[in-house]
This record gives sequence, C-alpha cells and structure tokens, in this order.
Amino acid sequence: MTFTGLIGAICMLPLRAIIYFCVKLRIHPNVLTLIGVLINLAAAWALALQRFVLAGVVMIVANIFDFIDGKVARELQMESAFGGFWDSVMDRFSDISLFLGLIYLYSALGRTDYVMVTALAMMFTVLTSYTRARAESLVSKCKVGFMERPERIVLFMIGAFTNRMAAVLWVILVLSIFTVADRIYFTWRELGTTKSELAA
Amino acid sequence: MSASLLTLPARIVWNAVYWTFDRATWQYDLMVAAILAFVWLTPPAWLGDPTAGGLGLIGWLLSQFR
Repeated sequence: MTFTGLIGAICMLPLRAIIYFCVKLRIHPNVLTLIGVLINLAAAWALALQRFVLAGVVMIVANIFDFIDGKVARELQMESAFGGFWDSVMDRFSDISLFLGLIYLYSALGRTDYVMVTALAMMFTVLTSYTRARAESLVSKCKVGFMERPERIVLFMIGAFTNRMAAVLWVILVLSIFTVADRIYFTWRELGTTKSELAA
Repeated sequence: MSASLLTLPARIVWNAVYWTFDRATWQYDLMVAAILAFVWLTPPAWLGDPTAGGLGLIGWLLSQFR
C-alpha cells in the first residue's frame, strides 16, 4: 500500500461510522450535500477574517458531508441523476466560496498581487471541472490531470492549518493550468483518433 | 508526441506535466511529496506571503550559514 493509500484507509474508519448513522437516520443525500455547502460558507468567512485554523477545522467538517453524500445515497438506494447534478453544482459553489474568502482577505490587506493569484487559481479551478464535463459529452472519459477537487481541498486544509496559504495558492494555480491543458490535449487527441477510426 | 522517443529526464517531466496516474500509486505519492516540500520548505518571504510568519525550513537552514 502506498503512503497516500494508507492515509485514505485510516480516514475511512471514522467516515464509515458517520455513514452508518446517516443511513440509520435515513438523511436524504441531497440534504447532506446542502449542509456541506452551508458549512463551507462558514469556512470561506473564516478565511476572509484570516482565522485560518478555524477555517481548516470547518473545512474538515464540511467535506465530511461532501464525501459521505454519495455513499449514503448508494446505501439508501437513493442514487439519482439529479443527485449527481446537484452534487456537482454545489461542489463548484463551495470551491468558489473558499476562493472568494481569500480574495476578500487579500484585498483587505491591500495585496493586489495575491488577489490576482487567487482569482486566476479560481478561474482555472472552474475550467478544470468545465473541461472535463464538456469533454465527457464528446469522449467517454477525460480523467487526466493532477489537480482535481480532493487534491485542492486537502491543499486548502494544509495551507490553513500550517499558515502557508500563498504557497498552496501557487501550487493550485500552476497545477490547475496543467490540468486544463492536459484535458484539452487529451480530448483533442481522442477526437482525432475517433475521426480516423471513422474514416477507416 | 510519443513518450518512447523522449529521453528519460524529458519523459519524467512529460509524465509529471501530462498527468495520467491514478491516486494511491507511487507516482502520486512522489508528486504529493514534491508539493508538500514546496509548501512547507519554501521561505514565505520568497513568495511574498501576506499572512505566513517564520522562515520556513529552507530559510532557517540558510540563516544558520549566514
């Protein structure tokens, strides 16, 4: 088992207990998604006020809800197309909220440079999910690129708990640019292959 | 671009930039280690971090040799 695999397995232990209780209480998965988003708004507010440790703790709680909603839906056999759509839209809402919190903070500190870094990171974060969603309307799967949502969330938490948010923003920005480029290249290549297959 | 045509260092860079590896692979662990090293070791002053304090590990080590 790899190091990151081991960490994932350890984190799953308490999450299984939470999933069990949510299933027992028959909480609707879409409600869990909404609760996660509302808690994430509190995390964004804490980031805006430079209360990074508080923001980190709140992000952990919010992302527990975000992580378990799909699993609870499966356990309760409540999986639906709308649930998937709702989850994706709320994920974007949560992502953008956290970036807006930081934009507020850096503008209050008079740091236009980091306002721009955060805004660009937010732009490429949105493009990361958009390129995949749009690509998968054309090709069967487009799962290339490193910087997906779980990586971004964990990086936000690391930045918050260790007060290294600027470094984290640079990592998110650079790797999100690569991820968007990877997805454009992958889709272009896949569509090229499909055309040549059709021509043959 | 065919990966087999590239030399080993260029292939490593290409594989890091054009990322196709899953989570929980050794390549993923290596990338995570590189990211954490950048985040924790880079002196905040080098990035002009508006909120962070302290030197970071690299900054502290450099200060010992000054």
